[in-house]
Amino acid sequence: MAEAVVALRPPLIEGNKSIAQVTHDVCAPMEARPTPLWWAALLASFSLLVLGAAAIGYQITVGVGTWGLNRTVGWAFDITNFVFWIGIGHAGTLISAILFLFRQRWRTSVNRAAEAMTIFAVMCAGIFPVIHTGRPWFAYWMFPYPNTRGSLWVNFRSPLVWDFFAISTYLTVSAMFWFIGLLPDLATIRDRATARWRRKLAGFLSLGWNGSYRAWQRYEVVYLMLAGLGTPLVISVHTIVSWDFATAVLPGWHATIFPPYFVAGAIFSGMAMVLTLMIIARKLMRLEEYITLRHIDRMCKLVIATSGIVGLAYGTEFFTALYSGSSYEQFVFLNRALGPLFWGYWTMVGCNVFVPQLLWFRRVRAYIPAVFVMCLLVNVGMWFERFIIIVTSLSRDFIPANWFHYAPTRIEVATLMGTFGLFFTLFLLFCRFVPVIAVAEVKGVLKYGKPRSEATHE
Amino acid sequence: MSKRKTKRHWKSLEERNANPDVLKVLGDEFPPGGPRQFRRRDFLKAAGFTMGVAVTTGCTRAPIQRAVPLLSQPEEIVPGRFLYYASTCGGCNAGCGVLAKVRDGRPIKLEGNPEHPISRGGLCATGQASILGLYDAERLQHPLKDGKSSTWADVDREITADLETIRAERGAVRFLSGTINSPTTLAGIQEFLKGFQNSRHVVYDALSNSALLDAHEKTHGVRALPRFHFDKAEVIVSFDADFLGTWISPVEYTADYRAARNLETKHVSYHVQFEPRLSVTGSKADQRFAVASGELGLLLSHLAERVAHKEDSPFASSQMDAAPVKEAFLDELAERLRQARGRSLVVCGVNDVRQQILCNYINHLLGNYGTTLVLEKPSLQSQGSDRELETLLDELRKGEIKALFVYGVNPSFELPGGESLERDLQKVPLLVSFAQRLDETASLARYVLPEPHYLESWSDHESISGVASISQPLLHRLGETRSVAETISAWRGSPKPGYELIRETWRNNLFTRQKKERDFETFWERTLHDGFAEIETDAIGGKPFSIQSVQPIWRAERPEANSFSLVLYPKVGMLDGRNAYNPWLHELPDPITKVTWDNYVSIAPKAAARFGISDGDVVRVDTNAGVAVELPAYIQPGQHEQTLAIALGYGSKLSARFAKVGPQWIDALVSVGDKGVVGVNAVLLLRFGNGILEYTTTNVKLTRTDKQRELACTQTHNTLSVPKKLQPKGSGPRPVLQETTLAAYLKDPHSGVEDHEEKEDLWPTDHPYRGPRWGMIIDQNACTGCSSCVIACQVENNIPVVGRDEIRRNREMHWLRIDRYYSETDSGQIEVAYEPLMCQQCENAPCETVCPVLATVHSEDGLNQQVYNRCIGTRYCANNCPYKARRFNWFNYAHDDQLQNLVLNPDVAVRSRGVMEKCTFCVQRIQEAKIEAKRRGEKVSDAAVQTACQQSCPSQAIYFGDLNDPQSQVSKMMANPRRYRVLGELNVRPAVGYLTVVRNRPEEATKGSKEEHHG
Repeated sequence: MAEAVVALRPPLIEGNKSIAQVTHDVCAPMEARPTPLWWAALLASFSLLVLGAAAIGYQITVGVGTWGLNRTVGWAFDITNFVFWIGIGHAGTLISAILFLFRQRWRTSVNRAAEAMTIFAVMCAGIFPVIHTGRPWFAYWMFPYPNTRGSLWVNFRSPLVWDFFAISTYLTVSAMFWFIGLLPDLATIRDRATARWRRKLAGFLSLGWNGSYRAWQRYEVVYLMLAGLGTPLVISVHTIVSWDFATAVLPGWHATIFPPYFVAGAIFSGMAMVLTLMIIARKLMRLEEYITLRHIDRMCKLVIATSGIVGLAYGTEFFTALYSGSSYEQFVFLNRALGPLFWGYWTMVGCNVFVPQLLWFRRVRAYIPAVFVMCLLVNVGMWFERFIIIVTSLSRDFIPANWFHYAPTRIEVATLMGTFGLFFTLFLLFCRFVPVIAVAEVKGVLKYGKPRSEATHE
Repeated sequence: MSKRKTKRHWKSLEERNANPDVLKVLGDEFPPGGPRQFRRRDFLKAAGFTMGVAVTTGCTRAPIQRAVPLLSQPEEIVPGRFLYYASTCGGCNAGCGVLAKVRDGRPIKLEGNPEHPISRGGLCATGQASILGLYDAERLQHPLKDGKSSTWADVDREITADLETIRAERGAVRFLSGTINSPTTLAGIQEFLKGFQNSRHVVYDALSNSALLDAHEKTHGVRALPRFHFDKAEVIVSFDADFLGTWISPVEYTADYRAARNLETKHVSYHVQFEPRLSVTGSKADQRFAVASGELGLLLSHLAERVAHKEDSPFASSQMDAAPVKEAFLDELAERLRQARGRSLVVCGVNDVRQQILCNYINHLLGNYGTTLVLEKPSLQSQGSDRELETLLDELRKGEIKALFVYGVNPSFELPGGESLERDLQKVPLLVSFAQRLDETASLARYVLPEPHYLESWSDHESISGVASISQPLLHRLGETRSVAETISAWRGSPKPGYELIRETWRNNLFTRQKKERDFETFWERTLHDGFAEIETDAIGGKPFSIQSVQPIWRAERPEANSFSLVLYPKVGMLDGRNAYNPWLHELPDPITKVTWDNYVSIAPKAAARFGISDGDVVRVDTNAGVAVELPAYIQPGQHEQTLAIALGYGSKLSARFAKVGPQWIDALVSVGDKGVVGVNAVLLLRFGNGILEYTTTNVKLTRTDKQRELACTQTHNTLSVPKKLQPKGSGPRPVLQETTLAAYLKDPHSGVEDHEEKEDLWPTDHPYRGPRWGMIIDQNACTGCSSCVIACQVENNIPVVGRDEIRRNREMHWLRIDRYYSETDSGQIEVAYEPLMCQQCENAPCETVCPVLATVHSEDGLNQQVYNRCIGTRYCANNCPYKARRFNWFNYAHDDQLQNLVLNPDVAVRSRGVMEKCTFCVQRIQEAKIEAKRRGEKVSDAAVQTACQQSCPSQAIYFGDLNDPQSQVSKMMANPRRYRVLGELNVRPAVGYLTVVRNRPEEATKGSKEEHHG
């Protein structure tokens, strides 16, 4: 009988894949030997990680003075990197949680990798609140643990304490969400495994998944609940991080636009990072049919939407300063655009507002190399956004006698490189050992766009 | 076992007749309703815990090896409490009386003696820092012979033998020293030199006032330095005399100057300064003119001509060049001087006899001698004679001197002799130095007989005629040193300790000149208690003013086009180089330039633009005589366009020890320059001619080199205005420092003040302040920027030295800093204002809300407290502080020098790295006062507490006390119409108020409309 492939909508997964094919396409690369390219990439990122670890070790041993900070600019690379990495993490949670609640089925191809990216990004970010302190061995004092010192509490009014709770909650929920979502896939690996260690490990980690109806039902319920928990986190975590600045008195920090501005910026940079990683991964792991041009198209639309919000936020900040009448506020913006760090400011505006405008054009969205370059520029721009916000506001604040510039030292640059090293090392290991695509969920959307009457082919 | 019923025993009838339930309860040793069931588990838990606690508390960090208590408690010494002893500062020749705070047997802080007529409670930066010299490991501990340690017995024997030979041969013996005003030492030296046929005591000052003294010899017949009374002057005209900074007796002059500028009584003096470079004194002047150093003489002549004309006195002026300043201004000035006849003061700081004579002439015409200048009871603070020094150098060159004793001076470093002087010094067979450290001259000497530090030896001073001060030792001598008086007495065959020598002089010479006490011992005790005694002196006889000595100066010595005049000057703190061993003074930001750890060439902005020079470019200065130095450049607003200025006192080998001062890490730079010392010695640019040391040279050339040396400057932006292209529309200079003019103030005392009324709070107050509430007022009109408060704070609060590289990275640790702002008037004059800033102890502190671990909290008496042991160093508080008053410990600053650690104040913690610190309003002093008040059962009175900065200020610009006491000085000052708060509009409610700067100007415009482009 002739099979007319009737598609009501373009299928999410191309190539007319069967369920077994999906399993094979995703799991087979994991079970084969790693490619030389993977080894080279791992070596490179691991070297960066070691460099960063050495730099951090030196800084903790000798003192925060090994960074380029001074009495005027107390935060620069440390908090910029912190906010940068936390921001990047938000896209994963958006894709996992919010898009799940919005029933965006296309998310299934990217959510596993995006959520992994979130966890790794939060791990990179979490380094900084600890190491940026002058006495990191006491960093745990930010947590209200029971003690016998008259019960000494933390300062609940301080945004850094809120940060502590927000980040730890975020890491916990993201990790849990990711892990729960992994269970069916770990079971798949266990069932396919030939090597004993792999069978044992996957078996242990898959918590005895037996694929029964009850297991699936509970799985769906827990997944939904965790998605529900994760959704507010997308908004709240970066809102809290933005309050590190918004609750301060400094001109340029003290702005109510910060929470939505930062959240939008986080999603923006996170999406760009997801796109960057996915563009590479789909090519190297031959997953173009799972992460299709349509997926990229949709993610680009998210990028341009958030770019618009970020651009609007820049305008709002500027407008607020203009009508405020406060010459201190107005000066901050003139200083950002025309002062010594003008190059960073214009990099930020160029990469965040102007460059993504090209994504309005469908042809651009479909041209992968352009999208890749743009996403790299977006991340550069977002890093500079945090840097400019932090450093320009600090280096030239109220009293002119306090003005002083900032320049990073080798240790700081090495630390930043180290976090990239950590991130990519973990991601490469993830690609190697964990299914990059959520196999179980993708199988669930194979029928997307196809009429109900068509029988599935095993 | 048979179940035999045992006999039942009962303890009471009730029990016998009781209910079985009750019996059951009685039988149960541990009833459930009773004490908690103590099970075996619980017991083991408790036992284990107790054991653990016992073990851990038993472990101490450092095992106690020997703890030997005192058998007899020394009288009056209570461990943990301070004792004050009166002494005299030896930081410079001014001789300010100090009270030394002694704790546990050693002095740890110096404070001005409030009753001493010179210091009146204040003390300059040099004086405050001089205590560090006591605990200096590089001080010589033993006499040296040919560079090797020796004993006093040996050196005495050898030197007396050599002296015998010299005496027999009638060889020339010279005693070269700085100004000595110790009667005992002077007497000793005179006695000593009497024993030689060809002997002389040659006195010179590296910062010479020889011309001033010579001028008085010519005009009044006595070679004396008058005592200046700035408090009696209504009009002060200074020709390059930095009397508030480094000239002769700055603490005394500052206190007097301040007394003459009292806005409450509207008694405000009028101060005009003519100078080539911007000095501290110039920064306080009401009118300041930048003139070339070669034009000062001409200006003096012009002023003298006008004053002479008004006083109908002759003055030959027909061929005078035009004045470098507007004629109209000079006319007006002359008229003001005339109106303030007898109540004005003209001073000249140039070491040139003709100029000094002209200055004397003007003072004489105005009748100032006897009121603002007193010659009959002169000052003995500077007595050097350049002429005699020149003669000595001549003799040295000819190799005529057989024995040279060098005391209190370092000629090899301070004089422009270079290598030839070194050779000449080495020609002397018996060269003896009494230096405390191995300085340049001591390195050449055959014998170095180190004298003790002034805090560990007996000495006396008569710095101003009629006031004899005492220096008493505050601890046992740290090395085997001997004072000069003791050494001389040993050589004369009758060795006596300093104590006896001083008492002898006092009994014989000084006790006899006073009438208050009849008994010497009572007199002695009172003097030791007070620190000084007032004695009678005969007025030195003077002749009437000799008009013939007056020689008008008709020409200005201007440099050629594209050349400069070079001015050499002493810096506040470093002075002539005697303090090159002192890291605090190296790290003290220069009051005007805010540069540390270096000297530099100051260039006027226009000249720098012409030559294409920016800050930090190394330039080369060449004189006509072929001498050249290379130094980094610093652009100095307000400097005369064709003048270059270089500070003396740098490049000393005593500063070589600072190469690695400061934290050592991979990117750290050394604190010294290319030659391994801090700064460059500019002394070769001094000139010696016609019996006068000349500090200015004309026609020097300036060239750029390719080298760079970034200057470690604590303030990089120098005006209250933002750069022009970044200026928001309609905004002006930031109202962070507020000033006004006298004319505007007299009309409306609130003029110039932009203070924001404190807003009504919606919430109930967090801080009720039931007891005292500490507050502070800083009178910016009184502040001269001298920075003694900065050093006082450093001494009191154990603030570490961080080194040049850290300062370069903007990480200085001074809790109190003085911001210096330039502004320009409409007529192009540069004005300077100072703003001392420390933690403002805000009531709504932005730092308190953001610290995650509650390391910064508010106390019940208004202080913002920093809890060092809780701080984890997130630096959020510093970021949120709008004043940037907080300081972070970026590294562990080395405290390895155990001797130097003796100067640490035991009441203040030494902070570890990673911890934030800031001004605490000297909370340790507040606590001390509270404890004392509690012990007495009284309320703490605000007069009992003086913060270190307040106490040290020579100008008494800082008021501190209880804001809750309406009678306290600080409460009254808070109500002063001149009071404003810095950044008050942020509603942080600082506890520190500032009083506006009021310049004695006739115009009512409060600020110049033009902005200064520098910075």
